[in-house]
Amino acid sequence: MKKNYFKKAVALAGAAAFAIGLAGCAAEEEAVVAPTTGDTAVVAEDLTIAFVMGAESDPFFQAMKLGAEEEAAAQGVTLIWQGDPSNYSPETQIPIVDAVLAQQPDGLVLIPTDPTALQASVAKAVAAGIAVANVDTRVGDLSDVLTFITGDNEDGGAKAAEAIANAIGYADGETYEVVIGLTSATATTNVARKEGFEATIAANYPGINIVDVAYSESNPEKAATNVNNWLTKYPDLDGIFAIDGTNASGAAAALESKGLVGQVALVGYDAYPDNVAKIEAGIFTALIAQDPAAEARLAIQTLVDYLRNGTAPANAEVVIPNVTLDANTSAADLVKYTYVAN
Amino acid sequence: MSSSQQPNLRLERFKAVAGNQNSILLSVLIALAIVFTLAEPKFFSVATAGNILTDWGSIVLLAAGQTLVIISGGIDLSVGGTLAISGVTSAWVMSTVLGFDITTSGSDAYPPLLVGGLVAIGTGLLVGLVNAILITKLRIVPFVATLSTMGATLGFAIIISNGMPIGGPNDFSLISPINPTWMPLSWAVIGVIIVVTAVGLFLHKSRFGLHTYAIGSNSFAARAAGINVERHLTKVYALAGALAGLAGFYVYLRLGAGSPSSGVMRELDAIAAVVIGGASLMGGIGRMMGTIIGALILFTVQSGLIMAGVAPDWKKVVVAVLIAAAVAAQTLRPQNRAR
Amino acid sequence: MKEVIYEVKGVSKRYGSVVALDGASLKLHAGEVVGLVGDNGAGKSTLVKVLSGAHMPDGGQIELDGKQVSWSSPREALNAGIETLYQDSGLAPHLTVSKNVFLGREITKRGLLGKLGFLDSKAMEEKAHSELERVGIAVPASNRSVSQLSGGQRQAVAIGRAVAWARKVIILDEPTNHLGARQAGEVLQVIKEAKKKGLGVIFISHTLPHVLEVTDRIVVLRLGKVVRDAPTSEFTGDTLVGTITGTIQTIPEEDA
Repeated sequence: MKKNYFKKAVALAGAAAFAIGLAGCAAEEEAVVAPTTGDTAVVAEDLTIAFVMGAESDPFFQAMKLGAEEEAAAQGVTLIWQGDPSNYSPETQIPIVDAVLAQQPDGLVLIPTDPTALQASVAKAVAAGIAVANVDTRVGDLSDVLTFITGDNEDGGAKAAEAIANAIGYADGETYEVVIGLTSATATTNVARKEGFEATIAANYPGINIVDVAYSESNPEKAATNVNNWLTKYPDLDGIFAIDGTNASGAAAALESKGLVGQVALVGYDAYPDNVAKIEAGIFTALIAQDPAAEARLAIQTLVDYLRNGTAPANAEVVIPNVTLDANTSAADLVKYTYVAN
Repeated sequence: MSSSQQPNLRLERFKAVAGNQNSILLSVLIALAIVFTLAEPKFFSVATAGNILTDWGSIVLLAAGQTLVIISGGIDLSVGGTLAISGVTSAWVMSTVLGFDITTSGSDAYPPLLVGGLVAIGTGLLVGLVNAILITKLRIVPFVATLSTMGATLGFAIIISNGMPIGGPNDFSLISPINPTWMPLSWAVIGVIIVVTAVGLFLHKSRFGLHTYAIGSNSFAARAAGINVERHLTKVYALAGALAGLAGFYVYLRLGAGSPSSGVMRELDAIAAVVIGGASLMGGIGRMMGTIIGALILFTVQSGLIMAGVAPDWKKVVVAVLIAAAVAAQTLRPQNRAR
Repeated sequence: MKEVIYEVKGVSKRYGSVVALDGASLKLHAGEVVGLVGDNGAGKSTLVKVLSGAHMPDGGQIELDGKQVSWSSPREALNAGIETLYQDSGLAPHLTVSKNVFLGREITKRGLLGKLGFLDSKAMEEKAHSELERVGIAVPASNRSVSQLSGGQRQAVAIGRAVAWARKVIILDEPTNHLGARQAGEVLQVIKEAKKKGLGVIFISHTLPHVLEVTDRIVVLRLGKVVRDAPTSEFTGDTLVGTITGTIQTIPEEDA
């Protein structure tokens, strides 16, 4: 008998908590005025901008959140920040977009997790009179999208190639061995960075051979394993390009544990605070940092300008350049570009 | 015993050793090593052995706990998540709470590392106890109960860490082979071997182990013999959690950071090692040595494929074949046919 | 007549809406073999579980040696000297004979190792086989699991275990199931030996000739109630069947 009561009590408490949570979500501030399209200025200043990103767990998006919140505060608009806690996928993102649209925001910044699957959501938003921007990734058909702001992954790969060539002291006529540590074989960010890297190597540094690539599936331990095995297989390895933050963390740890810091050039991607600190220690030759905060700021600014003044942006597609953080970067800049969360 | 029975005993003993699961596993391990060395001669080196053992260290701790759980007739899907949250909590305590960051290295790091290790084990133990309560008090089946703890621990790990690794004090020499020329074991791996051996001894030689087998074999018989099944299972899941916590600390030593993404899917590697090692998911069957060799096989395959330059997706195929073979061998064994 | 060593008075047990036992009473004397019979669903297995401590009754009393007791787990009944052979054994198939015999009462090594729970397998091996031999069960010495024995051998081990450990009462639930005539005969012999030793034996069986052969008294259950409790000599094969199926009218036993 006691067991039944206990189970019922737990279920009731859970249901109550759920109900309270739902009520709290529903009681969000609503947009005061519905947006209008065309040239007429919006009557009231109180705008709501919704921001649906990829996955909360990715520090890239957390840094973006800071920029979004800053800009929303500066512009005096209400920000609705949403997205899946850890799953970067259209299956979880589409219902979230639907829920957000039901709150009738004036503008929507969307980071589509898939270019075709989210096209319908964009159309839905536009049909409801909501202005839409894409950041980082885009939907296939941008004709209804006000602006598309992204970092340049190919450029990032190219900059990484430059950094590695520099670090190993590239000289014509010599041969060198490097490897690439990727997270996934299909993520467009990975693919673009790899292609940019390979293109620059082929064009400017033909003496460098990319002898191997391996995947770590966002797990830094796997990245460390890959590096361990490479170091055994290629005792003369000159450089490693770690294509994202988790891969870079694992690669750095592997080098440290083998005592090869400084003997193998390591170029990483994404400015995780711990990895940035390792630049000074010489563990990282360079880190390619994106500027997710700037991307978010520009997106919100563009939307607000359009909603308040009706001005369309000068460039529909904006590419925010990457920054190479290395031993020569000033301390101030290091702080500026490090991905920081709340 | 009559003399005519003596030669039969010798033959029986030979058959027992040759057909012994462990002998078969060792042969598979050696065969794989030979194949990979042929593909890439550098595979046969102290460095490779060191790489394999370094990878093996964290999973074999998970697999040791999983062996007990599976023998008892249950399953624990939460060990990967426990690994993650233990490592993250440990890193958080050492760096944020105690104030040691990544600049603390070498033997200076030992005091905070000691605290961090205890925090990691304690966190794992707590998760294990939560599992135990869900399973023994709320009567939720282990699959469902540990599936939900898995989600909760992974989620909390991300929340505590904001999704990024938390760096802290470390001494990387603990995780590197003691002497790269001839000693592939690191101090961390030696510690792991001691722990796993102790758990194995308890499993095979103690009352605790016997009761675990009994519950998995026939929980009614265990209860009828006077064993408090709920209390025993609580100990089993708590131990599995504590071992997962220790594994989380091992991964911390490897990365110099508590990483929230380090636990994802690791429970599947642990279960694969246990199944390849000869345990049955029905309960009642399994040996620690089998798990140990099973885990070694997994990472020999992983390293071998990387060294041989084979696409990593082949690892999944090889592991799937090994698991299928292990399960088939399980089903064909004589004691299972007589049932 | 020897003293009453084990007694249940008016026990009831229901599972959900199903009434398994409805005020059943049973007395067992030392050195006595009581047969417990009844059709399927009469409540025999439930009564066994109440007697062995596996289930707690909803109502009624249990008395051991005249004192009221209450079993909250099988462990308590075992400690009091009551051994039970359940239907479908109650052996762990993956464990060896000796481990099964000593399950729950293992012999540990001496000293520190013993305190940690390390087992003395050799001692258990030796003792298990000598104890089983003592009660008339010969099982081949081996390291193989119990599942590799034949059905008859498994049953023999289970019975031998119960008899070897029993100090007061043995409850045997369908011990001759799956056994051939010769082996069944051996089981009946074991029961007679136990009776000679002064243990109280409760013998549940569908095989009425066995019940008539080896018991002193027969208790018939129908729909959770005791409908007849009389010396074996008062039954014939036909009247026994009739009482079980209800074709022979009975006067319900009054509570003692």
